[in-house]
Amino acid sequence: MKNKIDYPKGKKESNSKKKILNGIQSMKIWLSKNIFKRTAIIVKKTFLDIYSLKKIIITLIVISLFPLIFVLLPTTVDFGLISPNHAATIIGFALIFPAFFWTLGLVYTMVIGTSGAPLIAEEVKSGTMLLLVSKPISRLKIFIGKYIAVYLYGMLLSFLSIFVIGWIGVFVKSGNIDHFISLIPFLTALYFYSLFILFLFTSITMAFSSIFKKARSASILVIFISMFSYVAFLLIRTLTGPFYVAFQLFHFDLGYHLGNIFIMFIETFNAVPPSISWQLMFGQITGVYSIGTSIDPDQNINLGGLEKTNYYFPEFSLLIWILIATLLLVFGIWSLRKREISV
Amino acid sequence: MIKKNSKTGLEIWSNKLTKIYGKKKETIEAVSKIDLRVKPGIHGFLGPNGAGKTTTINMLVGGISISEGSAKIRDLKAGSVAAKQLIGFLPQDPVFYNNMTGEDYLRYMGQLGGLQKKEARLKAQQLLDFFDLFKARNREIGTYSGGEKQKIGIAASLIHDPKVLILDEPTANLDPIGRIDVVKKIKELSNRVSVFVSSHILSEIEQMCENVTMIDNGKIVVSDSISNIKKSFISNLFFLDTNMNEKLVDQLKDKDFISKAWSDDIDGKIHIIPKDAEKLRDVLPKMLLENKAKLYSFYQPELSLQDIFMEIMMKKRGNKQ
Repeated sequence: MKNKIDYPKGKKESNSKKKILNGIQSMKIWLSKNIFKRTAIIVKKTFLDIYSLKKIIITLIVISLFPLIFVLLPTTVDFGLISPNHAATIIGFALIFPAFFWTLGLVYTMVIGTSGAPLIAEEVKSGTMLLLVSKPISRLKIFIGKYIAVYLYGMLLSFLSIFVIGWIGVFVKSGNIDHFISLIPFLTALYFYSLFILFLFTSITMAFSSIFKKARSASILVIFISMFSYVAFLLIRTLTGPFYVAFQLFHFDLGYHLGNIFIMFIETFNAVPPSISWQLMFGQITGVYSIGTSIDPDQNINLGGLEKTNYYFPEFSLLIWILIATLLLVFGIWSLRKREISV
Repeated sequence: MIKKNSKTGLEIWSNKLTKIYGKKKETIEAVSKIDLRVKPGIHGFLGPNGAGKTTTINMLVGGISISEGSAKIRDLKAGSVAAKQLIGFLPQDPVFYNNMTGEDYLRYMGQLGGLQKKEARLKAQQLLDFFDLFKARNREIGTYSGGEKQKIGIAASLIHDPKVLILDEPTANLDPIGRIDVVKKIKELSNRVSVFVSSHILSEIEQMCENVTMIDNGKIVVSDSISNIKKSFISNLFFLDTNMNEKLVDQLKDKDFISKAWSDDIDGKIHIIPKDAEKLRDVLPKMLLENKAKLYSFYQPELSLQDIFMEIMMKKRGNKQ
């Protein structure tokens, strides 16, 4: 029989530390094995299903088209003579509207919608979901796994999109790498905003996918919401004029809320100075800014940009839509758990 | 934690298991208060199309909800993750991820079943070998034949070492060779795992199963071992063979206790359907003596499962009418 080994005191202490560390380690293993492992498998499979290099390249081309037009608009500035920060500001001015409206707007939300909509609806319809739910994995994990996969795909897509449009802007205007580096706060603001948009539209898409029998119906509805937010409410806002405020239509105007949140990110990252030209455009498209002048007429003071309509505090807009996205996420999970799945 | 054995000794148990479709006014009871008792071994689940077999199975595997009653897999609530750990399932007309190779699919299913990556790979290869699919392991499932797809489906249901295999019409849509192959594999598997198999191909069920449950219109018609069922369903058909069949058949036709008697073209024997079987047994020896006939054989043929099934269905439908 082995003799009992007397460890020195210090060693004993390290042993108890070791035990705690072992405990933490085994807890981590338990967590990864029981909570995350099967979800991670769904994430991986779903991501590989959605991901295709060809699709990403086509999306990047489409996503870049509209910003390219804005970047190609002539400017009198000589980019060889100005500072990198000044150059980045001018490039930011050119990109800010198409990035909101197109790159992280219409195209992005539609790509998320069409990529995510089939993930549950199509699997249920084709019959593969029955096999999946018969496996020892909860429907919650199946949903979360698919949700995370769409989110990761969206993160990759927005990262590449923002990088590409940023680089296109710099390439067309100056081709100077320093200008691209100075553009990073702007691109970072766009990226953080894209994570919010992604959360909202992934929740919408996955909730629809969980409810609808046909993936096409879910896709169409997401596209409809996207169009409604970015295009239809622009018309409603323009056509209704003063009634828009009188009837408080801004409560339901997702385009306004998105614009409000977008501006919040731009301001937080101190990304693009408040130039009247882009604020005017934003005011017309989203209703975030009052269309008027940036000069106080009484005191003849430059107010440093247009005044905001402030229907909502941007933080409040953000909170509301994060709450709505979370509710949709929970609703999507609930729908899948209740859904009858058979061949 | 996986339960090794159930307290009841049953693999599948249900109490008044019911599935109701539709809303308040227009409801359809697809499965009505069925009590399943599935012992270890191979258990057949029979019934005509639309009888409720697939609905019952979908409730057992957690695909659809149970409207009323309850079901358990080895004492665990059917549809729960713990119960699903115990079952392997192959649906009717299974659909696969056609762009995945056979091996990738099995590994994916294995990992979903809780296997580690290496374990899943090893197990996948063993199963591919067992099902004679090793050569096809790197081919996309979309290119597989019907039989190969069915086998990869059974392999996928087995990959996480389930205790009960639930197969819904595993041989439907297969050619005869594919059927024989799949039935052979199921029989081989029964040494390791209990099998609950639904089918409407009764000859196959008869080959494979010790016990069967027959279902019609969502209700259990009979549930017992095949031998007990056969014992309880004695045919009303008698075969008689003598040296003067032609003469005797004419005499039998005239008897009032005979419903029908004829000389069969194929076996040459007299086939008799009596109205009163006891009277036939009493009178026949006297007839043979009077005619000085030599008796070669007189017996009731054993009914096949198919015959019994048909008889039950005919009776049921007759009663309804």
